[in-house]
Amino acid sequence: MDALLHNLKLSWHSIKRAPLPYALTLLILSLGLGTFFSNATLYYWMNRDPIPEKSATLFMARLNSVPGDCTDCFEPPRVMSYMDMQKMSGSGITSAEAAMFSSDAYAKTVENQQATPSQVELRITQRDFFKLFNVPFLHGEAWPDNKARMEVVISKNTALKFFSRTDVVGQEMLIDDKLYKVIGVLNDWAMLPRLYDVNGRRSAEPAEDIYIPLETAYDLAIQSNTQNSYFDVDWDGNMATYPQMARNNFANQLQFWVQLDSPEKVQQYQQFLKNLVADEKAAGRHQRPEGNKLDNILNVQKALRATNDQLDAFALVASLFLLVCVVNAGHLSLNRYMANQYEFSLRRALGASRWQLQSQILADVLLSSALAFAAALFFAQLGLWTINSLLPGTRALASWDWQMLGVMALFVLLISYLVTLYPALKTSFSPLNQQLKQ
Amino acid sequence: MSVFLIIKSLLRRKVITALLLLQLAVTLGLVVNSLLLASAAKDLVDQPTGLALEQILTVRVKPTSTAMRVEPALSEVISRQLAAVRLIPGVEAAEYTNQIPLRQGGSNSNIFETDRQDESNVDSVPYYNTGSQIFQVLGTQLVAGRELTELDKGTQNIILTEKLAKQLFLEQNPVGKSTNQGTVVGVVSDFYSQRYASDPLFGAINFVPMARAEMGYQLIIRVAPGQSEAVRQQLTDVIRNAEPEMDIGTVMRMDENRDEVFRSEIGLATLLAVLSGLMLLVAMISAYSHAHFHALQMQKEVGIKRALGASKARVLLDVLSESWLTTAIGAGFGILVCYALNISLAKVISIPAVPVWLPLLTMVLLLLCVTLATWYPARIATRISPATATKTL
Amino acid sequence: MIKINNLSKIFRTDLIETHALRQINLQVNEGEFAALTGPSGSGKSTLLNVLGTLESFDQGDYLLDGRSVKGLSDRELSALRNEKIGFIFQGFNLIKDFSLFDNIELPLRYRGFSAAERKRRVEQALETVGLAARRDYHPSQLSGGQQQRVAIARAIAGEPRILLADEPTGNLDSLMARQVMELLEKINQQGCTILMVTHDPDQARRANRHIQIVDGQLNDATLYEPLGYEPLVAGA
Repeated sequence: MDALLHNLKLSWHSIKRAPLPYALTLLILSLGLGTFFSNATLYYWMNRDPIPEKSATLFMARLNSVPGDCTDCFEPPRVMSYMDMQKMSGSGITSAEAAMFSSDAYAKTVENQQATPSQVELRITQRDFFKLFNVPFLHGEAWPDNKARMEVVISKNTALKFFSRTDVVGQEMLIDDKLYKVIGVLNDWAMLPRLYDVNGRRSAEPAEDIYIPLETAYDLAIQSNTQNSYFDVDWDGNMATYPQMARNNFANQLQFWVQLDSPEKVQQYQQFLKNLVADEKAAGRHQRPEGNKLDNILNVQKALRATNDQLDAFALVASLFLLVCVVNAGHLSLNRYMANQYEFSLRRALGASRWQLQSQILADVLLSSALAFAAALFFAQLGLWTINSLLPGTRALASWDWQMLGVMALFVLLISYLVTLYPALKTSFSPLNQQLKQ
Repeated sequence: MSVFLIIKSLLRRKVITALLLLQLAVTLGLVVNSLLLASAAKDLVDQPTGLALEQILTVRVKPTSTAMRVEPALSEVISRQLAAVRLIPGVEAAEYTNQIPLRQGGSNSNIFETDRQDESNVDSVPYYNTGSQIFQVLGTQLVAGRELTELDKGTQNIILTEKLAKQLFLEQNPVGKSTNQGTVVGVVSDFYSQRYASDPLFGAINFVPMARAEMGYQLIIRVAPGQSEAVRQQLTDVIRNAEPEMDIGTVMRMDENRDEVFRSEIGLATLLAVLSGLMLLVAMISAYSHAHFHALQMQKEVGIKRALGASKARVLLDVLSESWLTTAIGAGFGILVCYALNISLAKVISIPAVPVWLPLLTMVLLLLCVTLATWYPARIATRISPATATKTL
Repeated sequence: MIKINNLSKIFRTDLIETHALRQINLQVNEGEFAALTGPSGSGKSTLLNVLGTLESFDQGDYLLDGRSVKGLSDRELSALRNEKIGFIFQGFNLIKDFSLFDNIELPLRYRGFSAAERKRRVEQALETVGLAARRDYHPSQLSGGQQQRVAIARAIAGEPRILLADEPTGNLDSLMARQVMELLEKINQQGCTILMVTHDPDQARRANRHIQIVDGQLNDATLYEPLGYEPLVAGA
């Protein structure tokens, strides 16, 4: 401990002797590290498994059922219809299944009807949504079944925003001028990346505010605000006929998610879908070739071509930049050690062993790492602000938890060690007399 | 100084030289590819859209009460709003539409010629439910047939963009042809609709009342040249006065919409440009620092050479030519890195290929930066009298 | 060959003015081997540096081979130095990264000789100093004496009119010192003028002229007088 402190003091003095070159070396290293970290942060959040305890069991199912006799169309559309959902449900193979889409509306409380309503983000879905994605409830519970009901589940923030407290089960709300009752309040929850809705590049957005049953949405003509694709739909726009039209036409806006608990179940479900398509074809429907997709949640971004390419490109470039900075820092560090070779040799001549010199170098590394880490965090924060302002879709992704900070600190230590390793080896193994003669 | 001599002395310091070359090579590769991306982003942004970007304003509105989101209340509200907007000085035309052009994605539908669905089907064609002033607002030209008029409202008559008409009907006259979306009565010049549709220049226009406004609707306005700011300032208030129970979005000008469409490319290009700047900065810092470390040694060498009869200019040239040669060799490797990096990036994003002149230009830029960074210490070294420099200890 | 009239050199800092050389008059003729001695701080190194145009001077005039160096541009001065003067330093001052061959060749490059001419001269110089076998060695691989011989080779390769040596044997042991002195004598016999600064009184005696400098002023003691004048040596 004593020796360590002594060595640290020596390191500090050595820096003070020539502060400018040392500062420049540190600057270069922390620039590279900072840029790398800011990119790594975003990359980590965008590419992590947000639900590792069950990600292997979650799948998005799609059928290539849209009309048209296109013999080489193998890719199903990104969103499904109500009819597709009905056919894909009820197999008995899944342990949970839910259709869903997102929308928005204006909400206010019954007491406060005169106020300007606030815009809220909606998720239209079925009961199993909360089971599928392990969404925690703070109060109340989800709907007992998938029938149409004027009942909603709201997020904790929504409860606080409209009612100033969280236990609001039983309270009523006006959403787009329709009256709903709150039956459940969720605990703090967000899935990041938001893999249950990557369409429209929305995987970095925060979780929704209010959850409404699917059947209710169809009855009230609440539609998706992400993607509505009509295939051969003949409708005059009359709202009265919307519920009927949307349930019986290819008015696609849904995603359909299932939970399949074992590889056998996955196979069974795939077979189920195959049989389904065969039946449809026999009935004269599903003219396009079979193109069933059962995409695992971790592959959904790739399947819908919603990967954040810009981030990938930047990741490659940031890594190269780090390499350049490390090489530069190594080069300058080598210079510095060679300049100090005289001092090393003198101390060896005075009896210091190679090991004692090595521990001096380790102290150097420790000091450099601490300084570089602090500077790197600063640059990383700057980097995150810059990236967020240039690529707005990344705003939700810019935070660090303790685990990440720990990994970053270790990384800095490792790089600092690498940058000092070669010069260190060179200085302790050079023949003594040559060094002293200079 | 002889190239040969410089190379020999570089080979004496293998590790440092290797580090230097590696750094130069990667810097060059990165800077070139960043410039390419920046230029590609610029091309994307500058591409012709068929629209007068500085003369069209758009604003999304949505009635806050559900009663107003259906007919007949909806059409009534819209006519009130349009009437008010058309009175603003500077406004040449205004119309409602379900969606504006120049977006990433939106509402689209498939279209095919009746009875020829299998051969002619085109998926994902943006459709515009709009009114009679739309052509004036967009500034399209009539290419065939006639434009839609008020009389066409509620009918199944549609207008196609030129590219879409060619796609559906090839060389035949599109006017009068029947499709699943309606009968074609005219064709207009192309304009940029949706980036992720089958083709950004495909579009189908028909005149129908808005019918439903769950997702709101757009008011699209054409202003006289130079009037966009004046009109923009008044627009929100005018719309609110026409009907207070409205959620009114931000008024955007068409060029701002365009920037949103290409936000990702612009964002990445900017990021990489910033990174390139940082790389050049690092290269300069490194060169300066390196010279600084070797200052004493350099001064001594400079002193020796001066004593041997080299003029100041000659010695300065020696020092600089060592930097130049190292940079040039590094840049040579850098060209390899350029192409390698270009190929890797092309796997992930779309990036143009490397033109021959760009790496050379970047090399010149690098040489300039390195010269700047080494010049100052070198100049100082030549100023010192050789007597001092060659003194032992 | 060398003629100095009333030359003065003053070193000025913010606080102090040092008169390193005071109105010196000196003439060195062709073929002479002159030793310059004096106590520390007497100005002998300064005089040598001025003679070698490595330092400027404040007053007086300096004629090298009949040509005044006053008012010459840096380029002209460098050319003059390159052609007429050869240097030998106490610390050898070879360039570490270059081989022996390249070290010796360096001043010849400045002269503009062709590659063939340079090669000829370098090889001849190496022969003269007896190091032809080690032409591709680097300075770090040689002993002190060998390095000094390389420095001498470098100095004579261009066939200068005068060799200026600043304590050439100061860093060498007695055996190597003797070798170097013999080499210098050989070169002098071949017709090269030499002016050597030294601490060693024996070396001073080997020269055929002994100049003393004390406090910036000369005392041209002996002219072909072997012994007799005890130099006021303060010690190295």
